[in-house]
Amino acid sequence: MTVFTKTAVATLVAGMATTAAAEEIKVGIALPYSGVYASLGNDIEAGFRLGIETFGAETQDTFSIVTEDTEAKPPVGLAKVRKLVLQDEADVIVGIVSSGVLGAIRDFVDGAEVPLIVANAGNDEATGEDCSAYITRLSFSNSQVNRPMGQYLYDQGVRKVFTLAPDYAAGQQQIGAFTAAFEAAGGEIVGQEFTPFQQTQDFGPYLTNARASGADAVYVFYAGGEAISFVKQYDSFGLKADLPLYGSGFLTSPLYVNAEGPAAEGVITSGFYVPTIDNPENASFVAAFQAANDRLPSEYAVAGYDAAHALVQASAGGANDRAALADALRNVSFAGPRGETSIDPATNNIVQPIYVYESVAAADGTGMTQKVVAQLDREQDPANGCTLAN
Amino acid sequence: MDIGFWLIQTLNALQLSMLLFLLSVGLTVIFGLMHFVNLAHGALYAFGAYVAATVSASLGYWPALVLAPIAVAAIGFVLYATLIRSMRKSGPMAQVLVTFGLIFALLDLTRILWGDLALGMQLPQLLSGRVTLGGLGYPVYRLFIIALGAAVFVTLALVLGRTQIGAMIRAGVDNDEMAACLGINVERLFFAVFCVGCALAGLAGVVAAPILSVTPDMGLQILIPTLIVIVIGGLGSLKGAITGSLIYGFVTTFGAVFLPGLASILIYALLALVLVVRPTGLFPARG
Amino acid sequence: MFHHTPLRLITLAALLIGLFAATLTAGYFGLEILAEIMVLAMLVIALDLVAGFGGMVSLAHGALLGFGAYAYAMMTGSLGWSAAPAMVAAILATGAVSWVVGAICAGSHGIYFIMVTLAFGQMAYSFAFESPYFGGDDGLGGITRPDLSAIGVDLNDSMSFALYALVCLIVAYLFAARVLQSGLGRALVGVRENEQRMRALGQITWRTKAHAFGLSGLITGLAGVVSAQHVMFISPGLMSWTVSGEALVVVILGGLGTLVGPIVGAVAFVLIKHEVSAITAYWHLVVGVILIAVVMSRANGIFGFVETQLAKRKKAPVPEAKPAPLPKGETRDA
Repeated sequence: MTVFTKTAVATLVAGMATTAAAEEIKVGIALPYSGVYASLGNDIEAGFRLGIETFGAETQDTFSIVTEDTEAKPPVGLAKVRKLVLQDEADVIVGIVSSGVLGAIRDFVDGAEVPLIVANAGNDEATGEDCSAYITRLSFSNSQVNRPMGQYLYDQGVRKVFTLAPDYAAGQQQIGAFTAAFEAAGGEIVGQEFTPFQQTQDFGPYLTNARASGADAVYVFYAGGEAISFVKQYDSFGLKADLPLYGSGFLTSPLYVNAEGPAAEGVITSGFYVPTIDNPENASFVAAFQAANDRLPSEYAVAGYDAAHALVQASAGGANDRAALADALRNVSFAGPRGETSIDPATNNIVQPIYVYESVAAADGTGMTQKVVAQLDREQDPANGCTLAN
Repeated sequence: MDIGFWLIQTLNALQLSMLLFLLSVGLTVIFGLMHFVNLAHGALYAFGAYVAATVSASLGYWPALVLAPIAVAAIGFVLYATLIRSMRKSGPMAQVLVTFGLIFALLDLTRILWGDLALGMQLPQLLSGRVTLGGLGYPVYRLFIIALGAAVFVTLALVLGRTQIGAMIRAGVDNDEMAACLGINVERLFFAVFCVGCALAGLAGVVAAPILSVTPDMGLQILIPTLIVIVIGGLGSLKGAITGSLIYGFVTTFGAVFLPGLASILIYALLALVLVVRPTGLFPARG
Repeated sequence: MFHHTPLRLITLAALLIGLFAATLTAGYFGLEILAEIMVLAMLVIALDLVAGFGGMVSLAHGALLGFGAYAYAMMTGSLGWSAAPAMVAAILATGAVSWVVGAICAGSHGIYFIMVTLAFGQMAYSFAFESPYFGGDDGLGGITRPDLSAIGVDLNDSMSFALYALVCLIVAYLFAARVLQSGLGRALVGVRENEQRMRALGQITWRTKAHAFGLSGLITGLAGVVSAQHVMFISPGLMSWTVSGEALVVVILGGLGTLVGPIVGAVAFVLIKHEVSAITAYWHLVVGVILIAVVMSRANGIFGFVETQLAKRKKAPVPEAKPAPLPKGETRDA
């Protein structure tokens, strides 16, 4: 046959079944581009596009991207994801910042048998009792980030802890994971308070309670604007000297630690990513991201980047339609900016090392940076009600 | 818990009250005088915080403290001339809607001008220390907020109570048509009051920025507490604003101490209770 | 007094036919948008009933919508009821709660009324947010749609669901029209015009207001149930005051006190929102500016504007869309 005819046949076949020829994989990105979480959405997308650019050559397939704004609202997210799947015929959906949106789309994605790569939403059930063969998470789970700190704090000599978190599902899951682990290690929780979510401007009363509780240290989960307020107010009360502050990494995320400024100095948190992780993959990622976006990558950006890497790896293995991609994504494994990164097929959640880091002032005066003080073992979530392994 | 603990919690409550007072006093005087509900007041506060963060990054805190309120007053000037003047005589619903639209517009304008990432603002060197009270350290900056709020209250009380301008304003609040008959240039008075109200919102923004976070939705977040304060206190009066602020500050703070789980519902229940018992708030300007 | 003028009837017919035609021809996403429009239209009809005809600007209607959605979800989920009784029960419950809210708020006027409805709305929101029993802030899934297989309709199909939502919208509209044409409806308009005089005439005005709120609550409950069935997921965000705010925006956009205006407004708002957000992430700005322009133009929204223009041509009075100008010295609520 002539080259022209061959190409025509290949293109015809490409739309129907899997072939060895290069396919175009349609990616539907569902992220919040307006509202409170817009900065996270933008970072994840930036990381994803960089990932496709960096690793795209490893596969024959090409990727086309359609983006939709979920506004971090469940009904809107569902409508947009339905559009991406039913109207745009996306082969794979990537994104989802809000756990509420994830909850809303879970049944649809599972029923429509479309692979979904979660690039942020951390609620434990998504890879626990609500897990699905089609949903893989390349970001984190709420308990995964906090569990190791239980033993870590105990090993540092801390015996009594006062915890604070905002009063919503993620706050409860994050603190819950920490307290379970800390108490199992032999520690004591002397106080646990939850602050009204996104309605608390003044943490003063809670900080005063913490000081009066007799704790050795304070462990918190806050993210976004609340994290900034909390860290600054903690510093203004001068508590850090007697009552060190620990928490999960969102408290001092690279995305906004500069807004916290010197107030964040000395705060030790656990997270799955900081730009100062010392490995070759991270070095090239940080350099490329900074060149393209004029800022350092955050943990949100790396989730997008690794999602792209996973997708490329899945497609390089021959998968280019929904079912094959879903299967392949469950078994991805690579060395990435976070270290050894892989998916645990028993829960479809990511397995990744957890880093304990301290926020310090950058030597060159450009703001705040993170000093990794410990790299903990790769953290794998228990099944938690997920029956995928069976 | 010892005396130090209670003292600190009281100061926490006072500090929150004063911050809300700065915000609510502008809004309540505008309503009392012009019968204009400005829901966009929160957005103006956010704008003040953003301007302050930008200015202080290059010039420091004190210039920001002066320039941000002026900048917001300038915005108020523009808003009054274009929108507010013509909407003044419309009913509350039209005003709610116009200012609601303004909230949307200003929110995205803030995002366009400053991006989506949060900004930070540093405390001035002078105010970044701590005092020891009852054996515990308390931030000097929070005492500064309390002092500033008290100073604004005293100044406004003196102006409203002892000066001719104050008398004219009070006359305007009581009966603007009669005041106009008496030769008071009510239109110009309203204009001035509106701009001052906006300046106070900007001042609240500067003051809050170092201890809170400067994010695009900060205006929306502070709006409901401000509205609660002025409605509980009673619209249009200085006494109402300070009472409402103190009630909100103390209920929220000590609610957090005693009943952390119920804290968020508590204040709304209080609002509903006050409005059912006293439908126009505790100390409204016009009975 | 609410009349079905020729213009209103024609517009209503055009809208319904248009929605019906769109349902038959739209793609998947189009059907999603249509269902969204219809739920919003129902909510705004309910709001028009109390705000446009009753002069009571409510910021609680979002929470009432959420209440209906949650009630349906709880009854089908935790209590295991089947869809039909759950729908009826949820609608009635929402109506009852609305009646209570209306009764409590009846003593407030103007901005205070707005604030006290806001307070109730936020209390409901905080409550739903905090309690794990209702799924907390992560929400609850697994809500089922009614099983209409007996008449050969599968509501899990998007087009059938959109048609079902359209039927509900028509029911809601007819119900609202019926209420407005009844004695209660006329009393309601009277209370809006001048509460003191109505009281002087022997009307127990707080009851009128409460009844109006309750009936509006029934429609809101229906909207909430359909919304829950549409998304098959509930979360506290449904109850936020911004939902009520959006409803107000829509009713103003469409035309207050016309009952047909809300439907126009819902179509316009959803379409504008989707078109604009496809172009820019800053659609709040566009919506804000449009809203300001509409309010400042003094026109009563799109439909109200058309009505007034036509009436001017014919030199005929517009049937009670806007309150009559007040004699000197008397104050107005809304």
